[in-house]
Amino acid sequence: MSSIWFLEGIRKGRKTEKFPKASPKEPPLWPSRLEGKGEVDCPTNAIDNNAWDSGKCVFCRRCEQSYKPSLDQDIFTVKDTNQLFRKSFYLYKLDSGSCGACNVELGTIFDPQYDANRLNIFTTNTPRHADAIVVMGVMTDGMKEALQKAYEAMPDPKLIIALGTCAISGGVIGKSALPRDQYNVEISGCPPSPYTILKAISRARGD
Amino acid sequence: MKWYKFGKPSGRLIGQVDEFIVHSDSILEVEDSTAVKRVNYHKVPGEFVFAYGPSTGGLMESVGFDLFTPGELINHVDVDPNFKKRTLQVKGKSVQDALLVVERINGFHSVSNSIAFASAVEDALGIEISDEIRHTRILMMELERIRSHLEVVKRVCEPAGFGVPSNQIGYLREEVSRIISRATGHRFFFSSNGVGTVHFNANGIVPALDKIVNEFDHIFRGLLQSKIFLNRLQNNGRAHHPNLLGPAARASGLSVDARMDSGTISYKDIDFNPVLQEEADSFARFMVRSREIFQSAEIIRSLENVGDFKSADISVSGSGEGAARVESPQGDLFYYVNLEDGVVEDLKMVSPSYMNILAFEDSIVGNIFTDFHFNWESFGIWVSEIGVEIR
Repeated sequence: MSSIWFLEGIRKGRKTEKFPKASPKEPPLWPSRLEGKGEVDCPTNAIDNNAWDSGKCVFCRRCEQSYKPSLDQDIFTVKDTNQLFRKSFYLYKLDSGSCGACNVELGTIFDPQYDANRLNIFTTNTPRHADAIVVMGVMTDGMKEALQKAYEAMPDPKLIIALGTCAISGGVIGKSALPRDQYNVEISGCPPSPYTILKAISRARGD
Repeated sequence: MKWYKFGKPSGRLIGQVDEFIVHSDSILEVEDSTAVKRVNYHKVPGEFVFAYGPSTGGLMESVGFDLFTPGELINHVDVDPNFKKRTLQVKGKSVQDALLVVERINGFHSVSNSIAFASAVEDALGIEISDEIRHTRILMMELERIRSHLEVVKRVCEPAGFGVPSNQIGYLREEVSRIISRATGHRFFFSSNGVGTVHFNANGIVPALDKIVNEFDHIFRGLLQSKIFLNRLQNNGRAHHPNLLGPAARASGLSVDARMDSGTISYKDIDFNPVLQEEADSFARFMVRSREIFQSAEIIRSLENVGDFKSADISVSGSGEGAARVESPQGDLFYYVNLEDGVVEDLKMVSPSYMNILAFEDSIVGNIFTDFHFNWESFGIWVSEIGVEIR
């Protein structure tokens, strides 16, 4: 029976898209980079003094009259990287208090359309084998210790990646998982699209 | 309240939140906030507790399991969904601000949550929705159901090491996400549903969905011929529990579905009968979800009058109490709101995941460790909607 599945896999052919070398095939409108100007009534103060902070934005569309989505998926910040991660970059995912959407989108980058494995990006079931910890969600009392222990268990060098607005700034839900200056990588979006996640993580490993 | 009344229990038990015990037709106020009790288990000699979670790569969300075992057999499990318990501030907010939070209680089932909340507000303020809005909401919920069921079937394949079907279903799930993105501008429906309004473009959905469902049909038939896979599911985690909800209930022969007995989003003009299985095990839950993918696609095909639909936003003001119940992909989802001049004074939500966790705890007894993941994933439980406190 296993041979049937092997043949089924071959029969489907290649489904993986060219991103990030090529443009995203189906970028979502929300979230994407917002372009515009003016003061608006923003529920998370993501727009303040005519400046837009993608790490605070939940892309709720209330500013749509003044700020338009551009489809640009490059809404991330990579503050630190390490060439050691180029050949293999193992991620440990940690849900500190998410709604589940970030968890699904992180898993999506391993689906055939994106196939993060081809970029030497993998997940690991233990922080001891991880190069980076991906934090999703706001900080909750019950997950503080787990986050701390997981980070301490990781070998050096290591990165902390904030995935989604809750982890970066708390969004409309609560307090961010960690202070922003502790993150090496911030991936914006509520939740971030797989395009944004894949490109940001690829950059974090030194691409 | 048009669909609910306070008073003695009437209809099926949906669950409890704070001092509300919610049935399908009534809300009973009690003093004991833990009237729906869990089993108290005491370790017997020779057993030890194997702690699994809350954070490990094998779990989608943070959740803790204490497995009571003499070595391989599981005699009891305690599930703790409160490691990632979030405290959400909703009371005192406007309905529009509260909706932003409600959508993020369970992001993967955001449409079910936002429609149940919006319907409760509409009930409180006496807002009638048109058939066009009702049909659009049905379409959105059925689309969410297809994606959610694909995710569960994918996750049931993973512990069997079935990389090919797992990835192929993952591909289909992503294609559904892209349909949702084209229809609403957001891959999780965020900000596409509101009180008395909905924004959705259904053009082109049916042909795209037909392609996905045809491909899933091929994979599904292949899985039904995979003896190793079926052996892992059959007789694994039998759950005969009178208070089961959603696909887990229908997998045990219970004809339980809010689409049949809730007035909130009526399916009265849609040809629909619940998908039932009798086996009550992981296999039956896998079967019900798989067959419901075809059924949901059929419902969407029948909604021919839904096109590019963007109804005008309406101003929300006034006071009142309202309640609503919809069939989320996981089962009955209940919302109660109390509004004062358009501001949320009280909000209560009962998630189907709570009753299903109790059933999961019962079902795992007598199974072994290697059965665990198949059984857990087959229930499709979302911890984010249980580990939550609304203030």
